[in-house]
Amino acid sequence: MKLSKVFYNGLIKDNPIFVQLIGMCSVLAVTTSAVNSVAMGLSVIVVLVGSNLVISLLRNVIPDKIRIPAFVVVIATFVTIIEMFMKAYAPSIYQSLGLFIPLIVVNCIILARAEAFASKNGVVASVVDGLGMGLGYTMALLILGSLREIIGAGSIFGKSLFGPGFQPALIFIMPPGAFILLGILIGIFNNIRRKKASSEI
Amino acid sequence: MNETLKLGLILLLITVISAGVLAVSNNITAERIAEADKIANEQAQKEIVAEADEFRTLDENKLKEIQNANSNILEISEAYSNGTLVGYTIKSVSSGYGGDVVMITGFSLAGKITGMKVLNHSETPGLGANSTKSYFSDSFKNKSVTNELYASKNPSGESEVQALTSATITTNAVLAGVNAAREVFVSKLVN
Repeated sequence: MKLSKVFYNGLIKDNPIFVQLIGMCSVLAVTTSAVNSVAMGLSVIVVLVGSNLVISLLRNVIPDKIRIPAFVVVIATFVTIIEMFMKAYAPSIYQSLGLFIPLIVVNCIILARAEAFASKNGVVASVVDGLGMGLGYTMALLILGSLREIIGAGSIFGKSLFGPGFQPALIFIMPPGAFILLGILIGIFNNIRRKKASSEI
Repeated sequence: MNETLKLGLILLLITVISAGVLAVSNNITAERIAEADKIANEQAQKEIVAEADEFRTLDENKLKEIQNANSNILEISEAYSNGTLVGYTIKSVSSGYGGDVVMITGFSLAGKITGMKVLNHSETPGLGANSTKSYFSDSFKNKSVTNELYASKNPSGESEVQALTSATITTNAVLAGVNAAREVFVSKLVN
């Protein structure tokens, strides 16, 4: 399989959020602002690329029967490292992401890529897959986070957009707004994807 | 070799390696984390007792005694300016809408609240999370410690602070924490 195709699959064709709909819990929870979305996206990219790399290196060493616990150990190690470094060098971001960093361990995107891709493919392809999927995840988070912040708080990356007279629609900062916007975005994304696919045929 | 044993050993090997990697990264970051925590704490203290230039944590036995009577109190520090005691900072916790709310309150020896800051919370963004904004925390400034504080939409009296719109539980949580700190200050620290 060509590397560019692997990357494209992760970013667009099999986008983890808009197409596969996996790892939704953290998506709905952290996208209250654009900054949080980017920070969460970057953490997931690092964990995904790291765990894909190591698992692909170990794919012939790890016996099939214990592959899942072995994957979980590798993933948990990466997440804990990220958590420590974030606490040390970016404490304010760590505070706002809080609980969701440790929860990357059980984010199904990571385990799904380890199981479905990294354990069957070479190192380079696995890293590219991690990058593609990670960027696809980050892109979805950023779109959702920006829209929620603009509509729900009247700002973007913490900068006020409309001045003090703007009455923000608070529902979009809260969980129901996340569901509503995510549903609309999935609809739009899949509509574009389908049109593109049919025009290719 | 027994297959179960072999699988167990492989898994053991993987966990040993990852424990080693974690130990190394813990070594690298532990000092920085402690430092970052300390800096954040000190910054908050400076913000709420502006005139102080040094903070010393209260005698441990005295803190224990206070905590036994009032479990909301987490930490107490004495604030000094040029070596003389000018006030106290009290870190307290109370239960909010989404979990614990941790705040730090500054008191001057003259019996005024010099400042309040919410340090940690998991309140609703856009509603309870506004408790970190200055229009709310600044309304605690210069209140007298003699009376219990209340929240009001249009604070006017000596014991009224700004209420957060649509976040009554958060407002009450912060008030409970500040009032607990105020009581300890009045009954145990200043006399």
